[in-house]
Amino acid sequence: MNPELVSFKGTREGLTITLGEGEWRELMNELAAQLSRPQAQTFFRGARVLLETGNRAIDVLQLEELIAQLSQSGMTLSSVLGEQRTMEAFAQVRATIRAPAPLVPAQPAAPLAAPEIPVDGAQAMLLHRTVRSGQRYHYAGTIVVIGDVNPGAEVVADGDVVVWGKLRGVVHAGASGNDNAMVGALILAPTQLRIGRYIARAPDDRGQRHAPAEIARVRDGQIVVEPWYG
Amino acid sequence: MPGQVITITSGKGGVGKTTATANIGVALARRGQRVACLDADIGLRNLDVVMGLENRIVYDLVDVVEGRARLRQALIKDKRLSELHLLPAAQTRLKSAVNEEQMKKLCDDLKKEFDFVLVDSPAGIESGFKNSIAPADQVIVIVTPEVSSVRDADRVVGLVEAYEKPTPKLIINRLRPTMVKRGEMLDTADVLEILAIDLIGIVPEDERIITSTNKGQPVALEDHSEAGAAFQRIAQRLMGVEVPFQVFEEAPGLLDRFARFLRG
Ligand SMILES: Nc1ncnc2c1ncn2[C@@H]1O[C@H](COP(=O)(O)OP(=O)(O)O)[C@@H](O)[C@H]1O
Ligand SMILES: [Mg+2]
Repeated sequence: MNPELVSFKGTREGLTITLGEGEWRELMNELAAQLSRPQAQTFFRGARVLLETGNRAIDVLQLEELIAQLSQSGMTLSSVLGEQRTMEAFAQVRATIRAPAPLVPAQPAAPLAAPEIPVDGAQAMLLHRTVRSGQRYHYAGTIVVIGDVNPGAEVVADGDVVVWGKLRGVVHAGASGNDNAMVGALILAPTQLRIGRYIARAPDDRGQRHAPAEIARVRDGQIVVEPWYG
Repeated sequence: MPGQVITITSGKGGVGKTTATANIGVALARRGQRVACLDADIGLRNLDVVMGLENRIVYDLVDVVEGRARLRQALIKDKRLSELHLLPAAQTRLKSAVNEEQMKKLCDDLKKEFDFVLVDSPAGIESGFKNSIAPADQVIVIVTPEVSSVRDADRVVGLVEAYEKPTPKLIINRLRPTMVKRGEMLDTADVLEILAIDLIGIVPEDERIITSTNKGQPVALEDHSEAGAAFQRIAQRLMGVEVPFQVFEEAPGLLDRFARFLRG
């Protein structure tokens, strides 16, 4: 057992697994060893895992290997916290899962606790790509997309969401309960738009728009979309 | 110079992968390229039927991978074009009979002897998809102009990118110009606007595809069908020739003429 390589921590939400420094093979062997202990089988079965990967860049194939390893012990990888490339890989791996896990309940629920991670300019994920159908990005800060968010894609941020392109998928800003978050896009035509506890569906036909961009935010208890003229 | 492996795939099934593989193979071989078509849709093999070579199968892909046959023994030479070859899929085996490494090895061997290795893949959400993507130097995604097909194609483009392959090229298949004109079908621009990848061909809906498929005579063997000509242009583009994209005009059908008559 070497907790320097792989460490386990139980939390209210599930289980946190932190990967330390070391060769990938070494880490995977250590994970397998820890999971094969008899106690592990009963403790971990059914657990949702948050994976902390630090500064290491993990690719899609490695993530798939890790997910397969976890699922042998009846565990599912529910989120990843780490370097940008790793998180992008995670979002892409999730694209292979047909139905994404449901988000927060659709009905406005009781106000949630303030997000633990302070949301500010320093906490942003930049996606310089087309976010495609089946891909789901979830980040504990602001998400900035340079490119389109296609129908069937989902972008979920605890902070704001800004799309320098066409936003046509599902978007949720302030996902941890922050009603003050906003969504901005050059073309704002989401399948569904959520801010904090509020939810809006795009009208079926919005007609011509002339503003260079649009911003959605919550005002007086409902989501409103306003043109943005810079 | 080694050849290149081109994997032909889609998100939705039944959009024309097998048809495209057979016809692009024929069109390339007619231009003197050495071509191997490989049926990676294990368990659902039908490339051999579409190419009209079903009765010549002795060994299949799994026999080669498992060492029961040498590559040369298993490759079927086309009866019409001397440069065209087929490596059939196993009919009875499970998809798990082959893994990614074996597919890569197989394609590496084929690349030494052929200019083009065309892999007919299962649809993108089935297992076996990864096997066919793993050896690819280039991927072609086929889409029909329907919302659900485009949505599934988008997902596959994302997966191909996730495997760190070059961004796929697109074929739009079964386009019906009169339906587009009436606003009843997505047009090329609509499809490209969502997928944001490069187009390598547009193939119109063509009844001859169905009759030719039944006879095992791919349309690209002849020049006088619209779809056949479209596959010829795709083959040229794969060979690096710049060919302008065609604007399809369907001859007005009986119903159209009738409608025009009513309108005066
Ligand atoms: N351009 C076309 N025009 C008319 N029929 C087509 C065309 N392309 C494909 N088809 C028909 O669609 C069906 C499915 O095609 P196929 O190539 O077997 O799809 P896939 O390999 O993707 O499952 C076949 O019956 C084929 O003849
Ligand atoms: Mg097929």
